[in-house]
Formats: sequence, C-alpha cells, structure tokens
Amino acid sequence: MTDDVHRIELRAQTVEELRSFLDGTDLDLGCRPAVRRGSGELMIDVYATMPQISRLQTSRRSSGVTVTVIENATEVGRARQAEVGSGNRLSRRQTFSGLGVKE
Amino acid sequence: MAYLNVEEIEAALETLAASNPGKTELVFLPNRTPEGRQSHALRIGLADAPTAMAVVITGGMHAREWVPPDALVNLAADLLEAHSRGTGLRYGSQRFLADDIRSVVEGLQIVLFPCVNPDGRHYSQTAEPMWRKNRRRVRTDLHPHCVGVDINRNFDILWDFRRHFAADSDVSASDDPCHPQVYVGPAPASELETQNVVWLLDRYPDTRWFIDVHSYVPAVYHTWGFDQNQTFDPSMSFLNAAFDGQRGRGNDTYREFIPREDVEALQELGTAMNKAIKTARGAAYDFEQSFSLYPTSGTSDDYAYSRHFVEGANGKILSFTVECGRSFQPPWQEAEDVIREVCAGLIAFCLAARKQSIPERGPSA
Repeated sequence: MTDDVHRIELRAQTVEELRSFLDGTDLDLGCRPAVRRGSGELMIDVYATMPQISRLQTSRRSSGVTVTVIENATEVGRARQAEVGSGNRLSRRQTFSGLGVKE
Repeated sequence: MAYLNVEEIEAALETLAASNPGKTELVFLPNRTPEGRQSHALRIGLADAPTAMAVVITGGMHAREWVPPDALVNLAADLLEAHSRGTGLRYGSQRFLADDIRSVVEGLQIVLFPCVNPDGRHYSQTAEPMWRKNRRRVRTDLHPHCVGVDINRNFDILWDFRRHFAADSDVSASDDPCHPQVYVGPAPASELETQNVVWLLDRYPDTRWFIDVHSYVPAVYHTWGFDQNQTFDPSMSFLNAAFDGQRGRGNDTYREFIPREDVEALQELGTAMNKAIKTARGAAYDFEQSFSLYPTSGTSDDYAYSRHFVEGANGKILSFTVECGRSFQPPWQEAEDVIREVCAGLIAFCLAARKQSIPERGPSA
C-alpha cells in the first residue's frame, strides 16, 4: 500500500526561485514541468506524499516559494471513480451525442 | 453522463463509424496493448477525398488525465451530427456556422485517437487514480511495483536524455524502471502504445498538424520542449551531435532551431485555438512554447514535428500539446465545461489550419 499523494501549489516570483526549490527533488510535476501565470506570480502544482511535503517545508523554508497543500489527490481520485461509467452504456444505443449545441 | 470507461470509448468510436458511412473510417491500431486491448482511431473526412490534408489528434496518453479522451469522442460526435443535420455548433458563446463545419469535415481529414493508453486509464479509473504510465511490466526481475512506461517520454526524439541533455538540465525523464512517473522505457518507441501513434502518422502521410491533448495547466503549447527556440542557426539543432550534453538548461548559448515561418504558423494556429477557448467559457489558456520550467525528452509533439527534419520524405507536421482544464479528474459537471472549451478550440484550430499553406515535403531550412 503506497501513501496517498497530495496536490500542492507552489507560488513564486520567478522561474529561478521555483527551480531552486525543485531542483533535485524528483517530485511529480503533473503532466509536464510547466508553470502557469496569474496575479503577477508563477504557479505550478506538484504531487507528493505528506512525508515528502514535510521534508520540503523543512529543508527549503527560506526559498521564497509559497507552499499550499490543496487536497489529497488520491482521495479525490478515489471519490471520482464513482463518476466513471460502469459496464458499457453505449452497447444498446444507436448514436452518441456530443455536448455541443447544434443550431 | 459520467466519464467514459475504456470499453465505452471504443464502443463510441465504433458506433460513430457505423452511423456515418461515407465520411468516417474506423481505424484499427495494429498493436494490442500489453493487457490485450484493441485500440481504435476514427478518421473523419469524405471517402472521396482521402488525400486531403490531415490533422491527427491524440488523447489519453497519460492514464490519470481523464478528460481528454472524452473530449475527443465528443468532438467526433458533434462534428458528425452537425454535418449530417446541416447545422452549426455552439460551445458556450463560441459559435461555428454550418459552413464552418462543412469546411472542416469536407476539407480535411481529422484523425482522432482518443485513448492511446487504455490499460493505464482502466487502472486509474478502477484502482490507483493517480496512475500515469502504461501497464507493461518491463523488468520481471524487479519489484512488482515497478510497472509501466511514460508513453510521452518514449518517442524517438532525444530519447537518450543522458547523452543529449546537459547533466544539470534536470530534464523531465528517468531511466529507472521503478520511477513512478517518467520512466522513458528500455528503448525509443519500445511501447506498443507509442508504436500505434507512430503508425498512425505513417498511415496518413498527408498529416500536416498534430495535437496531443493532455491535462492540465491550462495551456496550449507548441514545439520545442527541450530548449528555448531560436530562428537564426539551423546547425544548432537536435540533429547535431556536437551539441550533445548541452541541451535543456535554458538561458544559455544552446537554443533549438526552428524556422521563422514555422513559428509564425504555430502562433497563428495557437492563437486561433486559444481565442475560441476564451470565447467558449470566458478564460483563455496560456499559449507559449512548451519548454518552460524544465525540458522534456521523448514527447509526442516534438517527435511529430521532428520527423521531417530526420527524413526529408516526411511531410512537415506542426505540433501542439493542449493541457486542458484545471485538474486531472474534475467532477463530471466541470469536465463537461472543459470538454466544451477543448472542442471549441480544436474546431477553431481546424478552421485556421484549412487556411494555412504548408510546404509539401522536406525541411524548410
């Protein structure tokens, strides 16, 4: 059994700050190691276990990067599995209709 | 509705193909997945125009990113239904006229491969939700936990990251078979799922555009992903072994060559896509080069674009990655809104692509 993974938002003013925080950590940086921009800051979500988060917060406290734990991503994902279709809902349907409004 | 499971994705493609003869082709990918699943793609385009320029759109490469496969199935269903009924399409405030839909369906080949990695998706949707890779056990001598290859680090473009990248580049790749996220696999294109994507690009030699839909940032990215771009020195490129060991740092002397006209074409297409995304739901995605915080190796978008540099007989494929939405597995109601903005963006992309003139063969530099 592996530890649950948490979604963590990192905020910084510069790419260099984020890199100096993340270099050598080998954390899960989401789909690709890219930042998003907003409110004059750079942000990236990373995924880590609570022990990993504790180590980061201790060892890199003075880096100028704000660390916010958003959610337990494993727990959210498990809950979301209830929103996946079961069986084959399309087996008796003649058509599959998309979400776009045809007009 | 709810998220499509892997069986339903394939069933949807079969249903759409069966109910739209003459303007679809159900494509059977040649390699079953390690768990034995048959993957399909769906080509939308008139049967009597098989050499129209093609846009290949993939999704589901990463297992935990649940929205992209649903978005591509929705896109196929919407285009086909609107075309059959002679209507336009609307996503939020983004409207496409009936003539727009006709232009896309009758003027292009749109090749949709919604779920590249169904084994991984099934595992994510039924067991470990945060699973990313495929489900092949590469090394049976290792701990049973060591399963899977990151399909989007397995393509044959600077795959051997230890040779091609600077040691301090922190390239997003690993040669550790137990790495939980970015194991590159034992060889370039070693994975059956990767081979299926390569086969699809080979199968449609008139492909001029490639979009790999992932989640999330949200952002639209264009090539390259392994260093900052430059437009002045064709010799400073991934093909040149003299630069091995220098790539991927950013803000230094090495930058990757890309022809200026390609940058302009990428900007035009990406801007069109992003404008429609914003109109659909009110918020634009970021739009930039895919090299950002750290470089990547072996990705699908860089591979697709690299093909014409490597082999002059290959057509040029302008490539993008869309990182849709704001989480891997949003509640279904939110997923529906992400699907709408993705569909709006992709249709706008296809319309812009129709207007572009792409050189027929070979590198432009």
